[in-house]
Amino acid sequence: MTPEQYAQAVRDALADHPEREELLEDLDDHLAEIAAESDLALEERLGPPEAYAEELASAYGERPQSAGKRRVDARAWAAKVRAALMRQAPSRSFLAFLPELRPGWWVLRGYVLAMVLVSVTAEPALVPMTPPAWVAVAAGIWASVWFGRRSRRRVVVLAAAAANGVAALTLFVGMVEAGDAMTPNPEQEQAVWMQPASSDGVYNLRPYAKDGKPLSDVYLYDQDGKPFVTNPEFYGYKVDRSCGEPVLNRYPLPLVEEEPMTGDDGLPTAAASACPTSTPEPGPMATATPERPDTKPRD
Amino acid sequence: MDSSQLLKGVLDLAVLAVLNDRDGYGYDVVRRLREAGLQEVGDASVYGTLRRLFRAGALTSYVVASDEGPHRKYYGLNDVGREMYAASAKTWAAFSATMAALLKEGQA
Repeated sequence: MTPEQYAQAVRDALADHPEREELLEDLDDHLAEIAAESDLALEERLGPPEAYAEELASAYGERPQSAGKRRVDARAWAAKVRAALMRQAPSRSFLAFLPELRPGWWVLRGYVLAMVLVSVTAEPALVPMTPPAWVAVAAGIWASVWFGRRSRRRVVVLAAAAANGVAALTLFVGMVEAGDAMTPNPEQEQAVWMQPASSDGVYNLRPYAKDGKPLSDVYLYDQDGKPFVTNPEFYGYKVDRSCGEPVLNRYPLPLVEEEPMTGDDGLPTAAASACPTSTPEPGPMATATPERPDTKPRD
Repeated sequence: MDSSQLLKGVLDLAVLAVLNDRDGYGYDVVRRLREAGLQEVGDASVYGTLRRLFRAGALTSYVVASDEGPHRKYYGLNDVGREMYAASAKTWAAFSATMAALLKEGQA
């Protein structure tokens, strides 16, 4: 084996070493020096390249932690946090107090899980309303306490962890919902007064006179004298500005769809624009006034 | 007792001692350690130790061109290395004195 071959074999053996290049920087020169010293083969003087590589890495020192393969040990981390907490007197007494809460949690857990069962099989509820529900809650609490007092085998511990998780999550969600139900929602109250006549919402108004004649250019104001405006953009329409800047509280508003309607030939349809051209008195809305002379009417 | 086990613990100090005497390249350090009586010192161990001490910032290195053989990378102690050597030598002296005293007591 030439020094080059030997060096390559060492390199291969240390393929996953994070600092391989740094470690083997002048290995070739070093091996060449040894080879020049004697006629003996390198394997005989230094042993197999794999063993040489192992000795080299061992003498170089511990592989740095950052080079992959480092797993986050949740248990070690939890132990560290616990140790840190135990050093503080207030948190130490709190942690010591926690086990005393256990029976209370067993009762609560039994109640919550029984109510989950009741809500799934019968009516969703937070408190038992019917005799079967009372029985279910009593049985759930009894079972939970019995379960909590049992010896801590691994299966039992895992099952308890699952039950605790479900109960805690349900409790949290249930309390949030109960809190929601008790808090009056101002938006909901307001919505009663603002209930639009159309289910699609109101974005335009069409006033009519007593005799049924449609009115145009009607200015609307609210009780404070502020212009009454709608929000057509929210419904996919925009105010037609092809006839100049319109007054936004003059109804009916000249509206066009936000996405210009295109005909089969890809050009905007003539119906997209409808506005009074010459007379100050606007004509009926149905009258289409093509803005573009090259536009072909649709058939 | 296998002296190679003992050697592992003091190889750093041995290498520092050799380089404190004068600068040397890898195989030269191995040879001088063996000449000094550390026959069992492994080539790879010395080379790995040199690279680690260099990485730790205790050594300087420079390449010397050679006519007949390959280029030689010489290693020498810098200030950090000299401090490391002084501290390690002191520790070792105290340790070996303690061990010597302990062995004398045991023999008596």
